[in-house]
Amino acid sequence: MDLSRRQLLGAAGALALPAALAGCGGFSTSGGSSGGASGGGDALTFTTWGTDAELAGLRSAVSRFEESSGATVSLNVVPYEQMFSNIDAQIQAGNPPDVFRVPYYTFGSYAGAGQLLDLSSYLGSDVADRFTDQAWAAVQNEGSPFGVPHHTDTSAILFNRPMLEAAGITDVPTRLEDAWSWDDLAQVATTLRAALPDDQYPFAYNWQGNGVTRWLSWLFQADGRFLTEDLSGPAIDSDAGRAAVEFTQSFFSQGWVPPNDTISSSTYAQDTWYSQTVPLVWSGAFSIPDAEATLDFEWGATFAPQRVRGGSDFGGNALVATAGTANPELAAALLASVTEEESMREFCTGASLLPTRTDLVEQGIEFDVRPELAPVFLGQASTVRPQDSAQVASPDMAAIITVLQDQLEDAFVGGQDAATTVRSLSDGISDAVR
Amino acid sequence: MAPGAPADVAPASGEQPGRRRRGRALGGSPGEALAAYSFLAPNLVLLGLFVLLPLVWALWLSTQQTDGFGAATAVGLDNYARLFSDGQFWRSVVNTTLFTALVTPVAMGLGLGAAVLLNGALPGRGVIRSALILPMAVSGVATALIGVLVFDENSGVLDGIIRALGLPSVPWQSGGAAAFASVVLVTLWWRLGFNMLIYLAALQGVGPHLYEAATLDGASAWQRFRYVTVPMVGPATFFLLVMNVIYSFQVFDIVFVMTGGGPQDATSVLVTYAYENGFVTRDQGYAAAIGVVLLVLTLAFTAVQWRTNRTRDLTE
Repeated sequence: MDLSRRQLLGAAGALALPAALAGCGGFSTSGGSSGGASGGGDALTFTTWGTDAELAGLRSAVSRFEESSGATVSLNVVPYEQMFSNIDAQIQAGNPPDVFRVPYYTFGSYAGAGQLLDLSSYLGSDVADRFTDQAWAAVQNEGSPFGVPHHTDTSAILFNRPMLEAAGITDVPTRLEDAWSWDDLAQVATTLRAALPDDQYPFAYNWQGNGVTRWLSWLFQADGRFLTEDLSGPAIDSDAGRAAVEFTQSFFSQGWVPPNDTISSSTYAQDTWYSQTVPLVWSGAFSIPDAEATLDFEWGATFAPQRVRGGSDFGGNALVATAGTANPELAAALLASVTEEESMREFCTGASLLPTRTDLVEQGIEFDVRPELAPVFLGQASTVRPQDSAQVASPDMAAIITVLQDQLEDAFVGGQDAATTVRSLSDGISDAVR
Repeated sequence: MAPGAPADVAPASGEQPGRRRRGRALGGSPGEALAAYSFLAPNLVLLGLFVLLPLVWALWLSTQQTDGFGAATAVGLDNYARLFSDGQFWRSVVNTTLFTALVTPVAMGLGLGAAVLLNGALPGRGVIRSALILPMAVSGVATALIGVLVFDENSGVLDGIIRALGLPSVPWQSGGAAAFASVVLVTLWWRLGFNMLIYLAALQGVGPHLYEAATLDGASAWQRFRYVTVPMVGPATFFLLVMNVIYSFQVFDIVFVMTGGGPQDATSVLVTYAYENGFVTRDQGYAAAIGVVLLVLTLAFTAVQWRTNRTRDLTE
């Protein structure tokens, strides 16, 4: 009896082990089948994050592809916060999805590390031709396409009309060619600073966290570059670089932005505008539906300022296939399909995002919410040049982002002068570029 | 048995049963040992798989240069050599140490104080205990998000109150020292309940006869606290000291969400710096080296505590 009880307990322990291990196996957030690379057949796995509106557009595009091709696509939706630690772990484990969604500034680190499928031989020339030059440039690595530009977004200025009018500013640009110059912006900020109480500020800029790439818009407006044309070295140590640092640094010294509108701040510029601490904020079109649903003051959108030329951030996301996919043709066909005119139009109008297809850009699109604002954002996006978006697709962008964050924080919070900042940026980028 | 333990009680409850257990274990049948191991096995396997294996892996990784994709290049101790000349690493070491030195004694002191107050008869004792323990049940990220709401410079509750009182607002997000203080304050709020709970449990084990004897000997309230309570909760203090130090060295979520290590690295700690290297710039070998340094620091501190703390085994 004694012995059999021990045997029983031993057996119970042995049985508990796999159960306990299984309990610990709950790391995957995957809802569908895992392991795209092993999928084979006519099945693809597609990992993405997205807002409800984005997911509705994607699901509809995917079903259209499933109907036309007869393939099955299992769409695996994960929270953005987990997206890339998930993808990295899956790649490291040799078990990545066939297709995933990636921001343009992260695209390069996957493409440069040889983790993405070179689409040169899978996409017809008609696919390459459907995109704008700046969008196509954003998915290139060493001369070959490694993804398709699914959509873009860029920052224009959202304004709080009652706050502006209270300060006597009744006239905001309504055409791209009338966009404020840097001097005009300084004038507007000075007027607002004088009119607003101490705990309110003229504007807030959306360069928090990875949004630091949006600082580059100032550099582009001054007609500068941060990387050389072959993306092999720094090009920021220039008059344009110094002008961009000096002007943006003055936002803090002049009291034009709240002191916590820093790069590392946990308060996003958008929230500062929502709370009516500032009348102006730089923001992407993606926030229009939320702003329309949340805000009870009258607001509109105008163009970002220009200096030597217009310049803006090429935001948004690409869709890419992984190098190890068992179904490269099918994966490429999916990428081509979701960027067809109908799918892209539906996705962009529903989610308030901008198209990357030349035909849609030329025809214009209407957002479902606040359709009259679409031309402002389309106009703003037209100021992005291919050479600007190509730099952000650099495989070394992840390391460059850290350099930008550290040095700009030193300039904005620590008062590091523009010349030193630009030199340090140049040295940091030089180290970051492989 | 620690020196200074009451001679009349310690041997009876400590040594003899221990000797008896050892004797039985030595004479136990192989079957009994097998049963013991089968009970231990699930934990040992999990520990091996999710603690020891990653630990050895991290040690190996710290001698490599890799972005996590494809093959790694062996670089020997280069990653460690790089640490010496890395200003942001040293800033993170100083910040982590300062954070630990501030949070550990204050959290323990407040925890002991709250436990002593709530150990006596007090109206609404259960409610106050629950209110203090509740933050323990909140995740670190949620705690930090609450912290952001409180410490936001523009629309935060705290600066609102400070301004309403006519005082100058504090730059909780844009000033280095104030940002550091905000992280410390939120951590204290979060950790107070845990410290109080452990001390409360320890206080339940202190016999009332000790206080009676001390009172009869003419000890004041402070003397009873200092010479009876404090030594008698020694094992709990030792446990909390080690746990608080380990938690503080490992602080991540509060800092990551509240300040992101800024402004200007003023709140950058070792784990946020390792995260930045490992998952943002993908220098995973270097990040592993930072992790190993963190492990060595924590182990060294625990070893010192283990050897020097004299009351960790004190029992009634």
